[in-house]
Amino acid sequence: MKKKKMIISQETMDIDFVRKVEALSDTSVRRCFQCGKCSAGCPMATFMEHPPNRVVRLLQLGQWRRIIEGRSIWYCASCETCSTRCPNKVHLASIMDALRKLSWDADGPSKESYVQLANKLFLQNIRTYGRQYEMRLAAVFNVKSGQFLKDLMLGPKLIAKGKLKMFHSKNKNMTEIEKIFSRIEEMRKKGEAL
Amino acid sequence: MSSDNIMEYSYYPGCSLHASAGEYDLSTRELFKILKIGLTEIPDWFCCGATPAHNVDELLSLSLCAKNLELADEIEGDVAVACAACFSRLKTTQHVLTENETKRKQVEKAIDAPVKLNSNVKHLLEILAADLGLERLAAAVHKPLTGLKVACYYGCLLTRPTDVPNLDCVEAPTIMERVIEAVGAETVPWTHRLECCGANFTLSRPGVVIQLTNAILDSAKAAGADCIMVGCPLCHGNLDIRQKEIEGVYKTDYNLPVFYLTQLVGLAAGLGADKLGLDAMIVNPMPLLREKNLI
Amino acid sequence: MSRIGVFICHCGENISRTVDVERVAAQIGKLPGVAFSTDYKYMCSDPGQNLLKKAIQEQKLSHVVVAACSPRMHEKTFRKAVEAAGLNPFLCEMANIREHCSWVHENKEEATVKAIEIVGMMVERVKKNRVLPSITVPITKRSLVIGGGIAGIQAALDIADCGHEVILVEREPSIGGHMAQLSETFPTLDCSQCIMTPKMVDVANHPKIKLYTYSEIELVEGYIGNFQVTIKKRARSVDEDKCTGCGVCMTKCPQKKIPNKFDMNIGMRTAIYVPFPQAVPNTPVIDRDNCTKFKTGKCGVCQKVCGPGAVDFEQEDQLIVEAVGAIVVATGFDLYSIAEKPKGSPIKGYGEFGHGKIPDVIDGMTFERLASASGPTGGKILRPSDGKEPKQIVFIQCIGSRAREKGISYCSKVCCMYTAKHTMLYHHKVHDGQAYVFFMDARTPGKSYDEFWRRSIEEEEAVYIRGMVSRLYQKGDKIVVMGSDIAVGVQVEIEADMVVLATAIQPQKGADSLAQKLGISYDKYHFYSEAHAKLRPVECATAGIYLAGACQGPKDIPETVSQASAAAAKVMTLFSKDQLEREPIVARVREAGCVGCFACKKVCAYGAVEEKEIRDRQGNLIKVVAYVNPGVCGGCGTCQATCPSKSVELDGYTDEQIVAMIEAL
Repeated sequence: MKKKKMIISQETMDIDFVRKVEALSDTSVRRCFQCGKCSAGCPMATFMEHPPNRVVRLLQLGQWRRIIEGRSIWYCASCETCSTRCPNKVHLASIMDALRKLSWDADGPSKESYVQLANKLFLQNIRTYGRQYEMRLAAVFNVKSGQFLKDLMLGPKLIAKGKLKMFHSKNKNMTEIEKIFSRIEEMRKKGEAL
Repeated sequence: MSSDNIMEYSYYPGCSLHASAGEYDLSTRELFKILKIGLTEIPDWFCCGATPAHNVDELLSLSLCAKNLELADEIEGDVAVACAACFSRLKTTQHVLTENETKRKQVEKAIDAPVKLNSNVKHLLEILAADLGLERLAAAVHKPLTGLKVACYYGCLLTRPTDVPNLDCVEAPTIMERVIEAVGAETVPWTHRLECCGANFTLSRPGVVIQLTNAILDSAKAAGADCIMVGCPLCHGNLDIRQKEIEGVYKTDYNLPVFYLTQLVGLAAGLGADKLGLDAMIVNPMPLLREKNLI
Repeated sequence: MSRIGVFICHCGENISRTVDVERVAAQIGKLPGVAFSTDYKYMCSDPGQNLLKKAIQEQKLSHVVVAACSPRMHEKTFRKAVEAAGLNPFLCEMANIREHCSWVHENKEEATVKAIEIVGMMVERVKKNRVLPSITVPITKRSLVIGGGIAGIQAALDIADCGHEVILVEREPSIGGHMAQLSETFPTLDCSQCIMTPKMVDVANHPKIKLYTYSEIELVEGYIGNFQVTIKKRARSVDEDKCTGCGVCMTKCPQKKIPNKFDMNIGMRTAIYVPFPQAVPNTPVIDRDNCTKFKTGKCGVCQKVCGPGAVDFEQEDQLIVEAVGAIVVATGFDLYSIAEKPKGSPIKGYGEFGHGKIPDVIDGMTFERLASASGPTGGKILRPSDGKEPKQIVFIQCIGSRAREKGISYCSKVCCMYTAKHTMLYHHKVHDGQAYVFFMDARTPGKSYDEFWRRSIEEEEAVYIRGMVSRLYQKGDKIVVMGSDIAVGVQVEIEADMVVLATAIQPQKGADSLAQKLGISYDKYHFYSEAHAKLRPVECATAGIYLAGACQGPKDIPETVSQASAAAAKVMTLFSKDQLEREPIVARVREAGCVGCFACKKVCAYGAVEEKEIRDRQGNLIKVVAYVNPGVCGGCGTCQATCPSKSVELDGYTDEQIVAMIEAL
């Protein structure tokens, strides 16, 4: 793969973006001294094109596009091993959350669509049903991702074991949940929250 | 609510316990009944948002959890949580909203109410090990799990992250071992107690889960475990539901039943298979339990 | 009537640019009591000082006010000039019209009015100044050195070689400290014992050094030049005068399986022991916690076999008081351990590395003992678990150091170099083995240091991996090392036979309580604080106490030796005079007014307030009052502000003087 040369200047280093990440994650990006302990223990590092320490490094250089173009942030499992073991108390798992949020806002050009799709469906389910509706989540995911036959062998077995409920009762106070979603949307429109 | 209960809790089962982890819910309720611990399910609780919410929208995640904490606040007693992910989210929300005023104000606007952070959120393990205490737990045993070698699997979220006060030492926890040894089982030391199973990639990227979960099963087997014990429905799903598939991919044979902690403790406390939901387990535990004279 | 002389300085243009100095001089000249008032371009210059001296003599001046810069800058200069002209130096005051006036104002008219007021205040104040005789305190020309490692040994030898007596106190049964434990030393790889033991012998044989081993500091009283130190000499159970050091007692002792701390608990020792064969003094000590005689009353073999009859089970701890004039603190360091720490401790252990429970995960000092020819394996690198030679060995740097999460943010400074040394020692001893080092940065400033590190890679074939390790765990008889190489951007896994951790350097245990006894300050890690990071690096803020070695911060041997010699030089500077002169700005108690509440004693940061009994002629006690020891008083004035009966006054800053200044406004 051909890699673009990184041109570094005050213009190309998007420090405003870094500040947004720091505000959302409540952690310091500059504090990282690139020891690599996060990458050493990350269960998902082998699936990422940028290992966790390099995600932070790119962020330190204000090169966030290089991060969100890739799949790395979507392959983070949120296991928090990095945050737990970081010698410098950099909360990398929270930085990953912030990057995914900002990438989503920017309609990030990531190639990783499956994880994003699953997240979207998960949140839609909460908005519609108040609780997670696992059966529907799996079914809609398979349809939308075009993998009609994925885990086909598991389905009937799970239904037989009572693990996939065909029907789901809605919460009684569904208006409450809708209000939370819409209030947050409103706050963002007004610029009261990131 | 039975009057001779010795303790009362509000209960947050979480979505999985009403679906794929029905046996966890069932065994929890049955076990707590005989331990005389009252559980009052929080009416109309919502999904905590789990990993997908905080992954892309922390404010939504915090607001959902804050709403649940508000609902829990109306019921007497600490909040009992079964699922490790719900537990981690609720605890993290309490921590973040205590530490960060900006975020607290945003959340209060989103839920249109002052946040209530006073509830003591407890995982079932804490209730058994600390509130009830290991001595009282041992006293409730009818059928000690003698000879059963258990690999206790913590996964990621029971103890992490380190700055949120969670239930045990983040790198060397012992609470699961203490609980299950109190009811007579043997525990095995093994290397992958705290490694990640791939969690919710089970939906989007099952290949990841198969690779990571295989390492965990392999480690438990190598340590000589008869079975695995978990306190998280997602871990359970990956270890139990996908076990056959993993055996196929790696051309191996683990045959490791994966129990929820309340199933094993319940078994020792004398509950029958029907009250433990053993039939819901994909890897059949019956041959093992018969071999050990536990059923 | 006073005849005050006032001297207004232009300070080049620094003052005269914004203050009309001539007008100030003229205006002040009209004040009652002012006999002479003038201005000059550079009052601090030679002609300026001469002008001042001449005026004092010609005008018969009684007091002097110099209106110029801050007293911090030139008070000493002008007081010296005044003294040279025959006046008591404390009859001279400075009015600061530069920092307090010309530098901070722009309007010349307003600044001039302010300058007149500032000088006017000082004129009223100086009228109340009294002649203050200078204070001298005697100096006891003996010194105490606390700690018998290389720092303490070097400082003691340097001071003693100058002919002054030294009391050297060491907590362990032998001097030598950590340096005696090392195998070879960087960057020249000379054997530590070979360069250390001759110095230890020099200490033992030096006529001016009095050595107390197995002893600790119990109490420190007094002040610079006049300390009284109480030393607790723990019972050795062996008479040092009778013992010949033959060692028969040790060969006969039936308790042979006690882990030897000197060998990092790998080697074993007896209950009656010397920590290592080259110990100084070569007198054994009985470890009473592990001795059968002390535990059960039966045994006593050592006493039976001792020819000179030196073994004494009845010996008791002794308290010894020594008078000294200066103290060198050289208590050294301790190593951080990855073990689980008690709840609430600010320092955390490494659960991800097994909390120290994996037997073949050792620290750097344990590796030193393995590599040492006089160590428990005779210099062979063998695993503690099964005695096998490790063929794959992993070194991990920055364990505990630079780890905010574990509670320590600083760099321990010596680990990069000793790890490079370890890879070489390993390569020299295990020819078919391979050493790997996980590191973040190689910090090798120092003469021939970087070359040494490069040599470990280029010639001794160590593989350095830039990245840290997330987890260590035992798998069979291997240790799985989960690391990463950030240069390549991949995870690295090594199945190692042995892992050596470069653990952080911490101050010696109990450093804080010793500091409290000495009245010296320390940082949050309990490293002792120097008076000034750059210009007074070996002195404590407390006069007469000096620092040497790693008790002040992580240091290697050359740096420790340099600092020890520097501390010795400071002691010798102090001892070069017979008496110590100090500024007479000290507090005095008006005994008639003192009610003996001792509020002043509670607030005194210098411990200068003592209790003094006042008796009548028959010797009957009338009352107990406060007394300020002028040798110890720091002149801060806190007692003056605290005293409810207004019975303490600080010379040079009396209430009368301050009130006079306020009234002049």
